[in-house]
Amino acid sequence: MIDAFRSAVTAVAWCLLCSVAAAEEWGTLKGRFVYSGNAPAPVELKTDKDVEVCGKHKLVNEELMVAADKGVANVVVFVRDKSVKVHPEAAAAAKSTKVVLDNKDCRFEPHVAFVQAGQSLLVKNSDPVGHNSNIATLKNSPSNNLIPAGGEATLTFKAAEAIPAQVTCNIHPWMKAWLVVRDNPYAAVSGPDGSFEIAHLPVGELELQLWHEKAGYIGEITVGGKAEKTAKGRKKVKVAAAGTDLGELVLDASLFSK
Amino acid sequence: MRSGTSRFRLSAFGGSGMLAVCGLLLVAATGCGRTSPASFRLNMVEATKQRLTSAQEQQVATILLAMFGTPDEPVCIPEAGLDEAKLRLAAGPVRSDIAGRKNGLYREHCGHCHGVTGDGLGPTAAFLNPYPRDYRPGVFKFKSTERADKPTHDDLVRILHNGIVGTSMPSFALLSDLEIDALAEYVKYLSIRGETEIELMRAFFELDEEDVGKLPETREFLVGEMLTSVAEKWQAAADAVIAVPEMPGDIDLVASIAKGKELFYGDKANCVKCHGVTGLGDGQANDYDDWNKVIVQWSQEVAGDQDAAWVARASHVLAGDALRPRTIPPRNLRQGLYRGGRRPLDLYYRIHAGINGAPMPAAAGTVAPEDIWHIVNYIRSLPYDLDGELGADRPMIAKGD
Repeated sequence: MIDAFRSAVTAVAWCLLCSVAAAEEWGTLKGRFVYSGNAPAPVELKTDKDVEVCGKHKLVNEELMVAADKGVANVVVFVRDKSVKVHPEAAAAAKSTKVVLDNKDCRFEPHVAFVQAGQSLLVKNSDPVGHNSNIATLKNSPSNNLIPAGGEATLTFKAAEAIPAQVTCNIHPWMKAWLVVRDNPYAAVSGPDGSFEIAHLPVGELELQLWHEKAGYIGEITVGGKAEKTAKGRKKVKVAAAGTDLGELVLDASLFSK
Repeated sequence: MRSGTSRFRLSAFGGSGMLAVCGLLLVAATGCGRTSPASFRLNMVEATKQRLTSAQEQQVATILLAMFGTPDEPVCIPEAGLDEAKLRLAAGPVRSDIAGRKNGLYREHCGHCHGVTGDGLGPTAAFLNPYPRDYRPGVFKFKSTERADKPTHDDLVRILHNGIVGTSMPSFALLSDLEIDALAEYVKYLSIRGETEIELMRAFFELDEEDVGKLPETREFLVGEMLTSVAEKWQAAADAVIAVPEMPGDIDLVASIAKGKELFYGDKANCVKCHGVTGLGDGQANDYDDWNKVIVQWSQEVAGDQDAAWVARASHVLAGDALRPRTIPPRNLRQGLYRGGRRPLDLYYRIHAGINGAPMPAAAGTVAPEDIWHIVNYIRSLPYDLDGELGADRPMIAKGD
């Protein structure tokens, strides 16, 4: 009896040890989204509400932002695997930081925000006029709060969203943003030059999901001159401890016709 | 090109087709001598949006049949939290039972506008403005709970009893309490069924490759995840009623109206932006409610798609299973017609929580409770403010500028 107990304890101790020992190699994944074709110039928006405040900002439709070097901004990349291991530092960071979505210059900043389930989203208003932030989440309760000048609201989300949620302002109908809600820290939004980076990923094979507001889930990318079907935006990648660079991920103009 | 059988199946569920597979089963069960039994229509907008295959649509229809039964024979599994006896009174064709009690209340009183499925696509729907409510997204406007929460049973009963002024929804005050109660339960049934259907259709997207495009048909998934996530919200509604502090009894009404006016035009409550400087509802007026917005946004997506075959199919669905989108005008506050009820308490709920499904945001958290009461008092004064604020300093804004 005691022997059995002792061997059980040993087994448990071993397991604890091996899970620590097998720990945990982490790597960084990066890449850059590039537009193929001639990108249309962003269209100027008609700012016909609160003209005295909003009219002075030259606002453009931010649905598709392509830089001079063809980098595609605001492409969302996240890890699809539900049971992905989470680096302790990445987990801790989510608890101690807030994600900010600002109503500034009669637009949302950032245009695509990423918040983790359980993390706080601070919606604020740096404008001298009142806004409201209508967040159309599907899995989480949707909300639509008044955000007066200088005001703020703090929101949290319980579950991951399968598709980024649209954020609009009903007072200023041109204002639009997107909120990515995931239940792990592994998501990124490509910057103005099209590049993205996700740090602290567990080494090994992972499945990514790629999304853009005009393209939806991205169905095809070209890497190194080779076209690759990515049904539902899903792409398998291998993360190495030394880091993995996916290089240029080329997105064809036809993807953005929606 | 679709095969012959799948085309038959599609027409059976979508567009104008009324005869579904479950309907056929019932014919077999009940024999001849009856008109074809009613069947639920599949949510073709969501199915096509999610690009479900015919086999996947079929799977959803089969699961829903097992979980909820048919319009004539509702099924109620315990997790749905519904009262089957009440549903039976409301369901089925119009008829009397052996005790002379009227059955089939939903189809007698509601179905022609709200549709047998509760999709707001009954035969009269296209002729009404506003359109009748589509229950399937599970969103209701006029209620006592926080913005995103479900209405309570009593909220639904109140709407049935009072009707909705300014719309085609009449009062059913001539029905007995028992009958209204049964209809409210049936609206919940259609809503839970419709929302579960949407959940199921969206769940295909999350499947892994090895699932071969099929939802797991386990109780754990279908009931434990899909149905429960919807039904729980309905069961929580009774606990989500907004706590309203009473309007101070010794309130000076004139001062309160003045304070309310200040808030109405002020930057914090910002009512003026949509309801207009005149209060006539002529501010921001080119917005859509959530039901119409879905159709507007999806139409745009369809128009830009490259796949001609899918565009043809989606256009067919838009023509047959959706009504032409309409913008939602902010309420004209000078008419004294309040759709969700005219009690001060009703107006308090609308301002505190906003209106779910509509652009109206929630003031709670930004505007203090006593200030909400001041706005209520100001709004209630507006229909009687005959010559005041429409004068020189606040010129009426002509529509259609």
